[in-house]
Amino acid sequence: MSKSVRNLVAIVLCASHAAAAQDQPIDFARDVLPIFRAKCFSCHGPKTTEGGLRLDTRRRALLGGDSGSTIIKKESSKSELITRITAEKNDGRMPPKGEPLSNRQIDTLRRWVDDGAKWPDKLAGEDRPSQHWAFRRIDRPTVPDAGVENPIDAFIISKLKAHKLSPSKRADRSTLIRRLYLDLIGLPPSPEAVHRFLNDRDDNAYAKVVDELLSSKHFGERWARHWLDLARFAESDGYENDRIRSHAFRYRDWVIDAINNDLPFDQFTVDQLAGDLMPDATDAQKIATGFHRNTLWNSAASADKEEFRVRAIKDRTETTGTVWMGLTLRCCQCHSHKYDPIAQREYYSMYAFFNRTDNNDTTVGGRGAQTLKSAKRDSFVHRRGNFLSRGPKVEPRTPAFLPKLETRGQQPDRLDLARWLVNPDHPLTARVAVNRYWQHLFRQGIVPSPENFGQNGEQPTHPELLDWLASEFIRLNWSRKKLIRTIVMSATYQQSSHQQIADCEINGTTNATCVDPPNRLLWRQNRLRVEAEIVRDLALSVSGLLNLKMHGPSIVPPFPKGLGDFRLNNETLRQPGGGRFRRGIYIHVQRTFTFPTLAAFDAADGNEACVRRDRSNTPMQALTLLNDPVFNNCTSVFGKRIQRLGENKDERLTSAFEICFAREPSTEEMSVLHTLVQSQKDAGADEDEIWRGVARTMLNLEAFITRE
Amino acid sequence: MNPDPNHAMTEQRRRFLTSAASGLGCAAISSILQHDGLLADEANPLAPRESHFAPRAKRCIFIFLAGGTSQVELFDHKPKLEELSGQQIPESFREGIRLGQTGWNAPIMESRFGFKRYGQCGMELSELLPNIGECADEICLIRSMHHEAFDHAPGELELSTGIDQPGRPSMGAWVTYGLGSESQNLPSYVVMINHRSPNSRHMAWGNAFLPAANRGALLRNQGTPILNLATPDGISPEMHQAQLAAMNRLNRLNYQRTGDPAIAAKIAAYELAFRMQSAAPDLIDLSRESKTTLSEYGVDRSGQEGVFSRNVLLARRLVERGVRFVSVFQRKWDHHDAIAAKLPIQCHEADQPIAALIKDLKRRGMLEDTLVVWGTEFGRTAITQGNWNNAGRDHHPHAFSLWMAGGGVRGGCVLGKTDDLGWRVVEDPVHTNDFHATLLHLFGLDHKRLTFRYQGLDVRLTDVGGHVVEKVLS
Repeated sequence: MSKSVRNLVAIVLCASHAAAAQDQPIDFARDVLPIFRAKCFSCHGPKTTEGGLRLDTRRRALLGGDSGSTIIKKESSKSELITRITAEKNDGRMPPKGEPLSNRQIDTLRRWVDDGAKWPDKLAGEDRPSQHWAFRRIDRPTVPDAGVENPIDAFIISKLKAHKLSPSKRADRSTLIRRLYLDLIGLPPSPEAVHRFLNDRDDNAYAKVVDELLSSKHFGERWARHWLDLARFAESDGYENDRIRSHAFRYRDWVIDAINNDLPFDQFTVDQLAGDLMPDATDAQKIATGFHRNTLWNSAASADKEEFRVRAIKDRTETTGTVWMGLTLRCCQCHSHKYDPIAQREYYSMYAFFNRTDNNDTTVGGRGAQTLKSAKRDSFVHRRGNFLSRGPKVEPRTPAFLPKLETRGQQPDRLDLARWLVNPDHPLTARVAVNRYWQHLFRQGIVPSPENFGQNGEQPTHPELLDWLASEFIRLNWSRKKLIRTIVMSATYQQSSHQQIADCEINGTTNATCVDPPNRLLWRQNRLRVEAEIVRDLALSVSGLLNLKMHGPSIVPPFPKGLGDFRLNNETLRQPGGGRFRRGIYIHVQRTFTFPTLAAFDAADGNEACVRRDRSNTPMQALTLLNDPVFNNCTSVFGKRIQRLGENKDERLTSAFEICFAREPSTEEMSVLHTLVQSQKDAGADEDEIWRGVARTMLNLEAFITRE
Repeated sequence: MNPDPNHAMTEQRRRFLTSAASGLGCAAISSILQHDGLLADEANPLAPRESHFAPRAKRCIFIFLAGGTSQVELFDHKPKLEELSGQQIPESFREGIRLGQTGWNAPIMESRFGFKRYGQCGMELSELLPNIGECADEICLIRSMHHEAFDHAPGELELSTGIDQPGRPSMGAWVTYGLGSESQNLPSYVVMINHRSPNSRHMAWGNAFLPAANRGALLRNQGTPILNLATPDGISPEMHQAQLAAMNRLNRLNYQRTGDPAIAAKIAAYELAFRMQSAAPDLIDLSRESKTTLSEYGVDRSGQEGVFSRNVLLARRLVERGVRFVSVFQRKWDHHDAIAAKLPIQCHEADQPIAALIKDLKRRGMLEDTLVVWGTEFGRTAITQGNWNNAGRDHHPHAFSLWMAGGGVRGGCVLGKTDDLGWRVVEDPVHTNDFHATLLHLFGLDHKRLTFRYQGLDVRLTDVGGHVVEKVLS
């Protein structure tokens, strides 16, 4: 029996029942819900969401499944719901197993749809998203009374008290200044800066250092690198040809400048996502769109251009989700999200914003630039994620569980999307951003999964503090510098990072080290190994080799031989002379080949957004610091520098130690250093060799690459 | 929030041990750290870990013939091609097939080389692989490999990382992540290349989001075998020792000052680096290999042939020393033109050392738990590319062949069938995800349980697919 005949029979059969019950209007609770419950929920409910369809909540049922709408109000004949329950068994009938719906049940649903699919509010169903903490509006929480002035400390201390713990004492000044320098500008403090701070009796001594560093131009370099990780910044295409993008550095420089100028995060967002759409877009705003120009490209002759264009658009969609909303959208390429209320169609509606972008090789301000421009293109759902298998057409839309998108014109565009993201009503943007700043300053975010604020992500350790910071960020007009200042001024940040070596079998209930070993409650600061670029910057800096020139084309330091061919033969990339000792952020990023020194210390490879870097510890790192030519160069030069630091051994050792660690060595440490000098001398080393050995030893200490 | 009690216990024990050890020498600290299972993760990210179930393979040598080896010349004999040679491909073969640079009007071309039956099993292989043919009874040939990636870099990534785009860890990284290392003084995953890198370069052995210790270490073909292995000029061994001693003492003092166990882990990493410095030169010193072995592998051959032979022999030396996973890349199989001239050259380079490796491992009793793989990113089209007299073949991911030997694989077995043109799989299809599921299974790892939480997903080597191919297991 053909489908149409079958339907006809069904209609005829139903007619009598329908007529019989016609006088009684359909009631959702009495007539419809029991059918859904008996026949549909086991596959289209909260636990299993076959085909992306849920019938247990009004919003999701009316939204439909992966293949399109399920219920079209007042049009039962066009509603997939009715088509499927009346289909032949081999023709996709629902439910696929067990008894089909009775004619009476079919008639009930048909009439319910034709009657407008009325679904009372009180039965709209728990659609969980509004219950999930991260999807709720950010309300500024009341600061608990903990007897301290700083709100951050109040939140932290009240939680510690609840666990019968107390915060650690303030770190000593040497530790504090090195911590601030490494966190804020990624360079070590000079001994002069340390002494100035140690001897400054002003109550504002600490604040003065903070403000000085926030206004340093190196602040932008340090914090731009964090953002470039998110922007999957690289200077080559990726894939087999991996062609060099010689203008990509202009986007990197834009980020540095934007951060140095404290461009508010909302504007920073809008410029990058839609700078080209701004009325009278400035050169800087055009360059800013380089954010989404950082997608990969396969220029192989045999590559299908449309396939790789689509991949890039999906990357733009997903990266936007990750970076601004902490949402993991990738799985929605193929099916509706398993944990979060994002249907596959909603993914492609987000995709539709970016599907209207094209790469733009142009000149901006008289120089080459790679930016985005708008294009006209229709978007469709890709069935099972396959771009060749088109599903229903979709328009640019934002996911329904998030605040409503306001559009300027008839058709929403990227500028609307960008403004929607930074609308203070958006529950995710500010939370996700402040969490990352926190992570950079404490090693771990308040939400330990900074890339995932969804229902499968981790819970915040201090939810009220997170919301307070998010609302404070907005109140500070999205000023990054002010927010960071607020955090580093807290006593929580300034705590010592030390922990006691305790025997927990004896005093395990009172000792914080035993009660909260991972330090989730922040009863102390965390020690952390600095990032790859900073490891290198530190060594170059203490030796005096570091070239602090900012901006411009990247440098390609000499590459070790014997590691294959890297397509880095472009001589125009090489900078003459001292260029190779510029800061790590200026090292050329080739997608298929991460500079080995940086790769060893977990640098981002620029292939996809990197929300948190690993801080691994490997023997390769030891070999790098011990023997790599750049570090070897640093130790030789530092060794010479040490000899100029004083007349006698004590002076030299003390000064060298201070340069590296911003503190004086202890008596025991001095004694080890003296032994080192002596045993090298016994081994026949001359003066240069001895002091080079001292330099090499210091640069290889765990503390050298650790921010305490 | 309640801190995890298990974690707290671990922490307590660790603290006790490290504080108790602080009066001992550094070697003692790290050896305590390493021998205590609870501390393994922190002190040594590559400490051996239990597999999910009993493994058949303990190590793998993955020989990656990059460029795309021609299944129709080497592994999948199609007499029908002779009959249809010079004709266009029938309409019925076109549906659902994407072509690369060649077009539908390109003629079919018969295999340019003959096939022979090898071994007791009578496996049909190319006449260009006589030495590998002698090992046919150890080999399980899969003729039904397929995936969707078209170009070299995506294809290599598909084979190496399970998906055809950058961003995922390589299989070697996954295996060492799952099992750790048996080597006390070498990296757990080692990579070798001939004169050129594969197209996807370092992504083919990258760690992506897995800890960096799982990244493949590239054994260099010039300079020290491992990057930065040599102490710089002007630092004598005695001075080096004095410096290492000072580093250890100063690190320990700082550990006492800060109480941070990460410092103990750092001390251990420096010890491993130190051991690597003496182990690696021994690794590459072939002077103690017998003359017979050297000539069996063909190390004495000239030019690239000798380089490849040496790499294959080094692979054996690496697994002998406890290295978990070795990848050997050889990149010259992309025969878009002149396949008749180029293929014999490549086969000659590859055939002898790979066969020698299998025989050598067998003699040493290592073949039963060492997996050897002939892998490639895709096969080649039955139709030609370029003009007939100098014709080659284009990329073909829809059906291709690879083989495995040893490590729990059924010898003398042929799995899967393609149609008359070697064009599409018609029996026992093996997707890349299935291949990886099987490879992990041989290592005693359940591909669905070997996961890493990344960006909200429990990511695995087999992406969202993968079935263990039971028929290849012995």
